[in-house]
Parts: sequence; C-alpha cells; structure tokens
Amino acid sequence: MDITFEHVTHVYGQKTPFEKKALNDVSLHIPSGSFTSIIGHTGSGKSTLVQHINGLLKPSAGRISVGDFVIDANQKKQDLKPLREKVGYVFQYPEHQLFEETIIKDVCFGPMNFGVSDSEATKRAEESLQLVGLPAAYWHRSPFDLSGGQMRRVAIAGVLAVRPQVIILDEPTAGLDPRGREEILSLFSDLHKRLNLTIIMVTHNMSDAAIYSDQVIAMDGGKPLLADTPEEVFSHVELLRKVGLDVPETMEFLSKLLKKAGKQQVVTAFTLDDTADAVIDLLNEVKDHV
Amino acid sequence: MEKIIEVRDLSYRYSEEHPLVLKEINFTVNKGEWLSIVGHNGSGKSTLAKCLNGLIIPQKGTVEVNGYDTADEQTIWEIRRLVGMVFQNPDNQFVGATVQDDVAFGMENHGLPRAVMVERLSEALRLVKMEAFAQTEPHRLSGGQKQRVAIAGIVALQPLIIIMDEATSMLDPEGRREIIQTVRDLNKKHQLTVISITHDLEEAIHSDRLLVMNDGQIVREGKPRDIFKSTDLLKKVGLDLPFAIKMRNALRAKEVPLTDSALFQEELVDELWTLHSSM
Ligand SMILES: Nc1ncnc2c1ncn2[C@@H]1O[C@H](COP(=O)(O)OP(=O)(O)OP(=O)(O)O)[C@@H](O)[C@H]1O
Ligand SMILES: Nc1ncnc2c1ncn2[C@@H]1O[C@H](COP(=O)(O)OP(=O)(O)OP(=O)(O)O)[C@@H](O)[C@H]1O
Ligand SMILES: [Mg+2]
Ligand SMILES: [Mg+2]
Repeated sequence: MDITFEHVTHVYGQKTPFEKKALNDVSLHIPSGSFTSIIGHTGSGKSTLVQHINGLLKPSAGRISVGDFVIDANQKKQDLKPLREKVGYVFQYPEHQLFEETIIKDVCFGPMNFGVSDSEATKRAEESLQLVGLPAAYWHRSPFDLSGGQMRRVAIAGVLAVRPQVIILDEPTAGLDPRGREEILSLFSDLHKRLNLTIIMVTHNMSDAAIYSDQVIAMDGGKPLLADTPEEVFSHVELLRKVGLDVPETMEFLSKLLKKAGKQQVVTAFTLDDTADAVIDLLNEVKDHV
Repeated sequence: MEKIIEVRDLSYRYSEEHPLVLKEINFTVNKGEWLSIVGHNGSGKSTLAKCLNGLIIPQKGTVEVNGYDTADEQTIWEIRRLVGMVFQNPDNQFVGATVQDDVAFGMENHGLPRAVMVERLSEALRLVKMEAFAQTEPHRLSGGQKQRVAIAGIVALQPLIIIMDEATSMLDPEGRREIIQTVRDLNKKHQLTVISITHDLEEAIHSDRLLVMNDGQIVREGKPRDIFKSTDLLKKVGLDLPFAIKMRNALRAKEVPLTDSALFQEELVDELWTLHSSM
C-alpha cells in the first residue's frame, strides 16, 4: 500500500487560543513495502504526521492516500475501520493503548474487533506475545501491573496480532532494554523483509534509522527537511546538527578520527563492520602520506 | 564520603499473589554522586526507585534517607522534600491545568514563598527550554515536551536527591545531551545527588558508579570502567556494551592490536592515533 501526503497541513485547536500549526504543507511518498524512519527535534511534528496515516488525526488541509483509501480535508466523516485493519499503530506512550483486564484479552481485542474468531485471536495473541518476549507467566495479569518496558511489549503484540500490512511505530524502543530493542527491531525488519510489510518508525536513535531504513525523513518545524536514503540524509551533517539532530554514533566516531587526521570529509558508515573497515583504510591512507 | 541513602535487606512484592520483585537489596548512595541503575525490563528498577522516596514501603528491610526511615510516617514528608522523582511516564506526574501551574504545584506543596516560586518557575522552564509553553495544557504537548516539563517540575523543587526514571528516553539527541548536561551542572555545582535509571549505556558510562540489576537483585556494583569489563555477565543479564567497546571489538576482529582500556569514544580515537603513529 503506497502512502502519499499531498499538501497536508494540520492545525491543532483551530480558532481557539491554543491554535498550533503542527504540519505545514507536507508532501511526501512512502512506497509500499518500504521501511521508513522519521527523525526530528522534539515537537517537530513526527507524531502528528504519522497519526494521519491511520486516521487518528484528520488533515486541516490537503489529502492523504493509503492504498485505495483517501482521507481528504474537505471530506465528511467516513468509516475508518477498513483503514485501521490494514494500518497498525503503536503509540509513543504504550499506556495509551492498553485497557483490558488481562494482557491476553488486551492483545486479543484487536483481532476480535476485526472479526477474527475467539480461538484464532487467542492463538495469534499467544504467538505475538511470544514474539515480543513477554513470558507466559504474565499473560493473565493486568496490563497495568507491568514495568514500562513490559507494557511496551504488550502494546506491540496487540498490533502484531491484527496482522496489518502497514505498521506505524512511534518510538518503539524507548524504554526497552538493550537486548529487547535489538530483538524488537530485528523482528520488524524481518516482518518487513519476509512479509513485505510497510514499516514507518519514528525514532530518536540515528543508528537505528540508518541501519534499518530504506528511506529516512527528517522533520523540522512541521515540514520534511530531508527525505532520502540513509546514506544521503546522514551525509548532511551540518544541516542535521542545526535542527537538533545528529548522525549515527559510527559516523560520529569516524568524524572524530578524521578530525585527528586533519581531514574534513564525511564518511558514511552505519554498521560496526563497515566502520572498522573505514578506520583501517583511513589509518593506512594517513600512514602512506607521512 | 557522606552517606545519604542506605538500603538494608530490602525485599518487596506488590501483593500476596505476586512474586517477590525485589530480593534482599543492599546498597548505599553517597552525597553528591551520580549513580546509574541499569537492568533488563522488569528487573525492578522503578520499584526500587519508589522505595527510595517512600512511595512504596518494603515488606522487609529498611530504607533510610538522610537518616530518616521511609517507614516512619512522621518524617515521610521530609523525605518527599529531599527526594525529587521524575517518573518513567510523565503523564503520571502531571496535575496542573497548564505547564506553569503544573511546575508551580509542587512548589506550593512545599510551601515556598510566592516570590521564590516565580523565580524558580521561570528558571526551571528556561533550563528545559519550555518557556514558550508556560500557558499550554500538558496534554497538548508532544512526547518529548512532556518529559521536559516533568524534569522542570522536579528541578524547580531543588531537591537534595533527584531520581530520574528514564527521564530522557523520548528526547532528541541534542535535547538529551542538554538535559543531562544541565543536571550534571547541578550535580557538580550544588552537590545534587543523582540517581539515574537508564537503558542508555552512553549515559551510564559517565556516572560515578553503576548498579546492575537482574531479576530483583543487584548483581554488580562499581565503577563503569570495571563493570563494562564483565562482558559475559552483561550479555547474560540482557544488557549490551557501550559503543567504544563494541567498536574496539570489531577492530580487534580485523587484527588491529588494541588494548581493552578505552571506554569513551575519545579514548579509542586517541589509542588508534597513537597506534598508527608508532606503526
Ligand atoms: N503495579 C504492579 N503490580 C504488580 N506487579 C508489578 C507492578 N508494577 C510492576 N510490577 C512487576 O514488578 C517487576 C519489576 O517492575 P519494575 O517496574 O520495577 O521494573 P523495571 O526494572 O523498572 O523495568 P523497565 O525497564 O521495563 O521499566 C516486573 O516483573 C513487573 O511486572
Ligand atoms: N493536542 C494538541 N494540541 C495542541 N498542540 C499540540 C497537540 N499535540 C501536539 N501539539 C503541538 O504540535 C507540535 C508537534 O507535536 P508532535 O507531537 O507531532 O511532535 P513530535 O515531533 O512527535 O515530538 P516528540 O519527539 O517530542 O514526540 C508540538 O509543538 C506540540 O506542542
Ligand atoms: Mg512524538
Ligand atoms: Mg521502569
């Protein structure tokens, strides 16, 4: 399902004292089956942007298309259920989407809401909870008697159980422990590759954005500042710093070493392996010149 | 070194039906230090934090803050005054109708004179760069803006001890650096004792001391430099290694003869540079 924004503007509290333009004439394209990361300073409009993709927010102007589904500012109310079935959304604060009595019921809610049978929903819920690494001993407890990271895992499981084609993740790894973040990210990367899911991830972790994405969108003041491959986006070091962003730590490390060598160039490398190669090349190069 | 918190033989379970989530915890916190607590999800960090300001009273063992026992109802308000806690989810902390009211609320509770409140309010909002949002309702803020306001609310109280429970997890890279620096300045200049619960190892390596939790227990305690040498233990408890160590291991795998001393990026850069000069 291709996702397209055409001249989308969003104003919160229009014609009230709290009026705030959070998106300003945004046009962008997210190809079907791609992994897109969205980065940007606090308040730059990332959450507002992605909430338009499953109709949680309606544009004040412009239109959004998600596959055949169109949301237009000038349209009257429409049934969003078919859209929500295809586009799953994991909130920035997981507490916002938990509400059932027990964890297992909470995860079953999504699929059952879209007409899946009791037994099939339970099967999917158990599978999903296993995928996110929440031990079975917890499943019949209240989702509110959990630690922060455990709640996030349940929220993610709830979305997986619906088996959507598009998954929106608003800072999915905030609050996860290091092993958990790696497992969850490889889980999404795997779903993306294996089932051709479209993944849209808001993140403050530049390395994750660089490693997992086909496309990185850098937001600034309610507008996309850059939208391109990670290699291209992260080569704009100065520009990113100017808007409160950064480069992945691999590049930060390389730039420190380059500076030592009196060099100004930007080297893009995202994995430890590529970075190690770049380091060795650089040291050899410098040595040959002495 | 002056002790400011002392925890002895602490054990806790949320209720009879629930298992023990803290088991025989013992540690002390020194005045003016920066102590980080790391550990897997559900290892008991937030529960432990709530024991330190008396929000939770352990079923077994004691917690003393500046000499006051948290189980003593007579002095619990004294403890709450000394210990400021920034919660993992800022929504659990907001009470005011606007950002400004919210930050002021805590100070009112502490009975601060109006003139002092006004001054601290603007100072706290300035420190977290949220002056422009003073009149905004907290629920109209973005995720990271909420975290900034939650931090301002505690900083304004000028506690003796600040507990930050993943307080910067939703901030952009620059914002995170700035907030940590702000707290570090308070730590250095005013001897603010900082207890930081974090999954960010790049932050943890800068602390004076580190506690590693696993399944309700403290499994290691010490200086970051020593703890991050225990690669196997960290892997076993679901943690990772700081960037410089992972980078060094990747370089070593490619026959670059590095020692295992570097913990910070800068140290690794220096070591590489020295190595290359002597080649
Ligand atoms: N209100 C509650 N009732 C019952 N059990 C709880 C409650 N809150 C937390 N727990 C359980 O206590 C254990 C410790 O939780 P705690 O929140 O202290 O973990 P944590 O180390 O802070 O984890 P995280 O990194 O995910 O925030 C977990 O197993 C959790 O499920
Ligand atoms: N319900 C609301 N009413 C009014 N203004 C809002 C509302 N929600 C968000 N805003 C404002 O809109 C702007 C964009 O918010 P948004 O939540 O999209 O930011 P974000 O990029 O997701 O930030 P963060 O990284 O902090 O989560 C912010 O300035 C915020 O204060
Ligand atoms: Mg957001
Ligand atoms: Mg916690």
